[in-house]
Amino acid sequence: MTMIRHDASVRTSAQQGAASKKHRNARLSGWDVVRYVILSIGAVGMLFPLLWMVTIALKSNNEVFAIPPEWIPKEMQWSNFVTGTREIHFWRTFGNSLFIAVLCTAGQVISSVLVGYGLGRLSFPGRKLWFSLFVGSLMLPGFVGMIPLYHLYTGLGWYDTWLPIIVPAFFGNATFSFLFVQYLKTISVSFDEAAKIDGASDWTVLVRVLAPMTAPVIVTMVIFAFQGSWNQYLEPLIYIISPEKWTLSLAMASYKGTYSTAWNLFMAADLIYILPMLLLFFFGQKYFMQGLGSMNASSLK
Amino acid sequence: MGKKRKLREWRNGYLFILPSIIGFSVFVAYPMLSSLYYALTEWGGYDKPRFVGFANFKYLFTVDPAFWPSIRATFYFVLMSVPSSLILGLALAMLLNKGLPGIKWFRTIYYLPTIVPSIAALTLWLFIYEPQYGLANSLLRALGLPEGTWLTGETTALPSLVIIGLWQVGSGMIIFLSGLQSVPKDLYEAAEVDGAAKWRTTLNITIPMITPILFLQLIVGIIGAFQAFNQVQVLTGGGPNFATSLLNFKIYNDAFNNTMFGYAISEVWVLFVIIMVFTAITYRYSNRLVYYESDNSR
Repeated sequence: MTMIRHDASVRTSAQQGAASKKHRNARLSGWDVVRYVILSIGAVGMLFPLLWMVTIALKSNNEVFAIPPEWIPKEMQWSNFVTGTREIHFWRTFGNSLFIAVLCTAGQVISSVLVGYGLGRLSFPGRKLWFSLFVGSLMLPGFVGMIPLYHLYTGLGWYDTWLPIIVPAFFGNATFSFLFVQYLKTISVSFDEAAKIDGASDWTVLVRVLAPMTAPVIVTMVIFAFQGSWNQYLEPLIYIISPEKWTLSLAMASYKGTYSTAWNLFMAADLIYILPMLLLFFFGQKYFMQGLGSMNASSLK
Repeated sequence: MGKKRKLREWRNGYLFILPSIIGFSVFVAYPMLSSLYYALTEWGGYDKPRFVGFANFKYLFTVDPAFWPSIRATFYFVLMSVPSSLILGLALAMLLNKGLPGIKWFRTIYYLPTIVPSIAALTLWLFIYEPQYGLANSLLRALGLPEGTWLTGETTALPSLVIIGLWQVGSGMIIFLSGLQSVPKDLYEAAEVDGAAKWRTTLNITIPMITPILFLQLIVGIIGAFQAFNQVQVLTGGGPNFATSLLNFKIYNDAFNNTMFGYAISEVWVLFVIIMVFTAITYRYSNRLVYYESDNSR
């Protein structure tokens, strides 16, 4: 490992360092206060649109268009959440989105773990070639294949079904496989070898030995996959026509066009659409950060 | 015995990566290769493609009135959104890196907007930018400033879309943050022993150590920005007067609304080549600035 490459230039600044050292020993330096101020201003900017959304969702329709606008609704209109969600047939579209997201997540995570294990732990001729092909395909813009695939799926009679969205998920996700390969590098091969001496097959090694040890990266994949599916818009837009098969993203996008005046109902529905992602993130946060951290730790090397 | 085991490992290896081999062939290789041919055809999607040579490209470059405006909009968008979100993401990550009391709350707040699904966020911003009752103009009015035209102005529409991206800068920030956290602490300690100033350690340790991530984010950002679609589809429909007609949106429109599949595919290839050239240039010029730890460790 190369140690500090720039030590010569670092030393020349010894004098400035001595001056700032006094600050660093204090509990909160002046710079820390500046940091808090900048972060607070930014945080207000980040939260403002969301808070505005919440207040609109709780207002009556008259209040939304009051001038000057009032920040806190006079009377909380909780019924907006009921009416708003009814407008987008929430339970039906929610069910559709959930069904698709669960299948896509399972398909992507399982297939990517399998592929990642093959690429990361087994040696066979052509391994390097396939690895670079898979990773290289990440650099290709996704839409290059969009139209020929559309042609292919419609030819198979998959138009206006969820199949063009769900089926590809089961054939590996290059990002996730790469992530898994990187994570496997942090686990000693001696675990595999020990299990294999005891007569374990590759399958057992993966499922019984490695899967528990790779939980953080698997949870990261689950969150990313679910989020990706929940957010997906272009594919549903192209393939799904019948309203009863719509996903939440399609329903929300078309709701904005038809009821553009009922802002309060719209915001209420939009909040409900966001809610599952919030829950997913808060429950998976710990693992998620760990998984992401390992991705970077390995990409730094 | 040894040979048998080796053969079994070969077979298992291919079995394990089989999903991606199929996925790569069907979802990457086949559409790419076939679209090379389709780009040279006149094809409505349901009829048989008719070979027309380079007629699509000729029409695209010389006749189509929407092509050059959309190239212009696409470049403006990439040049505005990629550097701004990279710099903002890195700056935030550096501000959020040091463990201070309450810093976890700030990290969560900055990450929060990225959890919001794309369509939920975009529809929210549609209302924020609404000229009369929207949040943006309400705030400007409250501050006594002139109102903005936002999505309805020819010069303001594209920057308005960029602002939405900056609101969701948290996804880049979190990657920089975990990169910063994995910079070996001993480097900072050594610098401190040597009495290095804070800005010096930032300039000479932090920045060089995260250049690989910065570089990767830059490439990913460029590829992503060239493919922006949802913003335009949900918020502006390409207007006003082609100001936000990003190429990817034009492709979608030509294929699925105008059913000119062959033509749309030729546009796809133009966009593809632009992305490749852009990526190659970026690679060429920033790779020498990227600092790689020696590879002997593996």
